[in-house]
Amino acid sequence: MKTLAIVFRKEMREIFRDRRTLIALGLAALATPTVLVVISQVSTKTATQTYTVGYSGDIPTGLDILLTATGLTLEQVADPAAAAKQQVDLGVVFQPAEIDEWYDPTRQSAQIADTRLQTVLGQYNAAKAAAALQQRGIDPGLLNPLQIKAHPLSSPVTAAGNAFLSFFLPYILITMVLTGGLSAALDASAGERERKTLESLLLTPTPRSRILLGKILAVSVISLVSAIAAIGSMLLALTQIPLLGTHVSLSPLAASVMVWLAILLAGCFSSVTLALGTLAKNFRQGQAFSTPLYFITIFPASIILFIPDFNPNLAYYLIPILNAVLVLRDAIVHNSVAWPALGITTASLVATGLICWFAALRLFTRETLLIRS
Amino acid sequence: MSPAAVKVDRLEKTLGKNKVLRGISMEAASGEIFGLLGPNGAGKTTTLRIVCTLLAPDAGSVQVLGFDTMSAPEEVRRRVGVVTADIGVYPRLSARENISYFAELSGVADGELKGRVDAVLNRLDMTSFANQRAESLSSGQRQKVAIARAIVHDPAVLMFDEPTSNLDVLASREIRNFMVESRGRGKCVIFSTHVLHDAERLCDRVTILHEGSVVATGPTAEVRGAHRDLEDAFLELVEKR
Repeated sequence: MKTLAIVFRKEMREIFRDRRTLIALGLAALATPTVLVVISQVSTKTATQTYTVGYSGDIPTGLDILLTATGLTLEQVADPAAAAKQQVDLGVVFQPAEIDEWYDPTRQSAQIADTRLQTVLGQYNAAKAAAALQQRGIDPGLLNPLQIKAHPLSSPVTAAGNAFLSFFLPYILITMVLTGGLSAALDASAGERERKTLESLLLTPTPRSRILLGKILAVSVISLVSAIAAIGSMLLALTQIPLLGTHVSLSPLAASVMVWLAILLAGCFSSVTLALGTLAKNFRQGQAFSTPLYFITIFPASIILFIPDFNPNLAYYLIPILNAVLVLRDAIVHNSVAWPALGITTASLVATGLICWFAALRLFTRETLLIRS
Repeated sequence: MSPAAVKVDRLEKTLGKNKVLRGISMEAASGEIFGLLGPNGAGKTTTLRIVCTLLAPDAGSVQVLGFDTMSAPEEVRRRVGVVTADIGVYPRLSARENISYFAELSGVADGELKGRVDAVLNRLDMTSFANQRAESLSSGQRQKVAIARAIVHDPAVLMFDEPTSNLDVLASREIRNFMVESRGRGKCVIFSTHVLHDAERLCDRVTILHEGSVVATGPTAEVRGAHRDLEDAFLELVEKR
């Protein structure tokens, strides 16, 4: 244990004197609040943005007021179909009993304007129909024979906030745990060969397994610090920046699950990156070897983006990284933990970490490690 | 001659497709400078790497102060210090931190650590730059750090593998003086070099390697024989083969 502590202490000292690592930590802490500010501004702007409707013909009475109130500005044009291509967001021709609409689905502004127009027209038609029925002495309720009374199981605003966190947090967690420790891992492995200290290190009577374990611990700690700095700054920013009309926050349960997963992932990634760094002759080659890791690790997190309601059976929780993403998503969205899933996830990540550790140790004790250097 | 501190017996080693060592035997004693000589590629570095347990032999054996390199590698490492031409130091650690790290890993007790490091810093005249980061040191100063970390645990066997090849005249002379001083302290000093002139001045006994085999071994004067210097002797030995 003593030699382990000696290696750990020395690695930590070197890491905190390395400008690359300190810059990465600083960026980790600043990046997510910056992204949040941008998201918040874009979403606020989208909600309050006005869109232009180019029209011809006579606007039905009262409809112009509704459209303007919904953020649609009316502009008379000669050819609405042509104008819809670039000049305006929507092109509309008002006819006595029909409205022709032109819009370009590839433009997001046209899509939003179309949705607003459809909503306003739906309300306008319903109001007109109700007024006509009432004039004839018929109950307007006839138009809605089945009334829907919604009973949301949780606050829709909170649910939307949790959904946002469930997309965003797994991404940040995985990215920061991986990238936060990468520079330190490569420095502690490929860097030893590059600056020709490896031979002297292996000449000491300390068992190589302890040297490696000390390095893995140091890299894990810096990965964790990086992830916690990024997520902590993000959560802090969320208390100040409103998103989706509310202040989004993480429950204590979800936060605990996230820290536990961060520890497991840090151990796994440290072993993997140290093994890759041990294969490399220098820092740059180590970076090249590690590049595929970005794709391999980000892919599982993307599943949540593309299939938000992905509810797999327990076997899926054996897949490293994907399991962490799923467990974290469930903890955030449902504020609960499925203990069997968490148990399998923990076992899977610990097993992956051990396999990677053994691989790194084998590489670290091979003669070719020295001969090639 | 004193009993052998390092005993190499019929050592063989193949690296990749190259048979680097072809049955090398030699003995180096405490209190002497033993020269391991030969041109580049003769097998000197591979021999030293096997002696200090970094590589395993394919055949043959090595004993260091009675410990076998294969069955007791950690005991061997405790008793060996190695200085190479590649002056690798941790750039973000100070000279003192570099030396302390290796002292701790070599098992120097906490209570002795500071005293041992200070003693080495004084002995090698390093106190003026002891707290400077290694990245700001000159190559001569870095070489001193490399020597200091190799001797801080007071090993009985010191191995120098082409230690002066990257150094200027002054730094090279300091290394040579240090080897002589270590011999005076009763250490077994193994000096591997292809510069035969250096070896002739320093070594009590030498072994000359060529293409992985021993071509001559014995006291330096004996190996030189009637030749003008060791270089002439070496050239004749190689040509005979």
